[in-house]
Amino acid sequence: MKKQYAVSLFLASLLIIAFAAIAGSGRNNDLPAAPAIGATIEDFKLPDAGGVEHSLKSLTGKNGAVLIFIATRCPVSNAYNDRMEALAQDYKAKGINVIGINSNVTEPASEVKSHAADKHLTFTILKDDGNKIADRFGAAKTPEAYVIDANNKLVYHGRIDNAQNTANITANDLRDALNEMIAGKQVSKTGGAAFGCSIKRAS
Amino acid sequence: MRAFIIFIGLALACSFAGVAAPTQSNGARAADTSNVREIDLEGLKKLIQRDPKDTRPLLINFWATWCDQCREEFPDLVKIDADYRAKGLNFVAVSLDEIGDVKTKVEPFLKEMKARMSVVLLNVKDAEPAIHTVDPNWQGDMPATFLYDKDGKVVFKHFGRINPDELRGAIDKLVSGKE
Repeated sequence: MKKQYAVSLFLASLLIIAFAAIAGSGRNNDLPAAPAIGATIEDFKLPDAGGVEHSLKSLTGKNGAVLIFIATRCPVSNAYNDRMEALAQDYKAKGINVIGINSNVTEPASEVKSHAADKHLTFTILKDDGNKIADRFGAAKTPEAYVIDANNKLVYHGRIDNAQNTANITANDLRDALNEMIAGKQVSKTGGAAFGCSIKRAS
Repeated sequence: MRAFIIFIGLALACSFAGVAAPTQSNGARAADTSNVREIDLEGLKKLIQRDPKDTRPLLINFWATWCDQCREEFPDLVKIDADYRAKGLNFVAVSLDEIGDVKTKVEPFLKEMKARMSVVLLNVKDAEPAIHTVDPNWQGDMPATFLYDKDGKVVFKHFGRINPDELRGAIDKLVSGKE
């Protein structure tokens, strides 16, 4: 009887140690990998800040789309508000639609809606509760841009340009990629890194 | 009377010495964070590559006053600096604030935090080479924390707000037995 009790206690201890190891090994450091350049982007559905559901396909222009992960409270993302609106205006006529995505668990849909109105952002902004789409794209920060062409292929993933301060812009990476895509050329610079605020994930 | 004057003089000299060289409770001189040094890309490379004679573990945290998670985790980093400095940890906080905000935002924040670690400000026109110098897989999301062992190898990295216990655990492995 004593032997059975000791064995049960030992096994229970092993189980506890195993569970503790599993629970402690997760870190939000391990973001899902971003899709590779050239990967096909599957359709998805998300509500906008007003609660109306849209599919990526329905929002994509005839020549493609630019998804930009944005925030309401990140000063870096906000530094790009005017530039993102300008992109939306400039490329809508060229068949490319800008789509904003807010995946921050700390920023509710009502705030996303009022922020867009306040900052005069006219492009559709989707609310990614649970950061499922951010995970699908391996999005790490705001702002972070993804260009999808007319064949649903990812052709660019990275920054909008090289400087928060417009006076210091020397590289317009996103616009260059869009212009090459429109011209039927292969995008020569498929990405670029820049500092930004980490996406506040729910998980 | 003369003895009294000498005594007062000595007392005043001792108190001035204390003010001029503030020390932490562990006896180490507090770092001067009232003058944040500006570095460029070459300065960042030198920081990471280090003097070969410097074998201290190196903790680098990339932060900015505009980054809310950076501000939220800063008190934990100040505590970690206080706890591990005497154990040989070299901690450098790299600010990504605008150079024009050093006196108005960066230094006041550091003072409010009672920060004692070394702080530099990375001033580059294009962040991409700097980001790739640190880690080719880093997209630039902040905060970002890197821990290097005595050989310069990254033994811990984290993007987003740190878990202080995880970071302490990683530092403990490097400084154990170095008290």
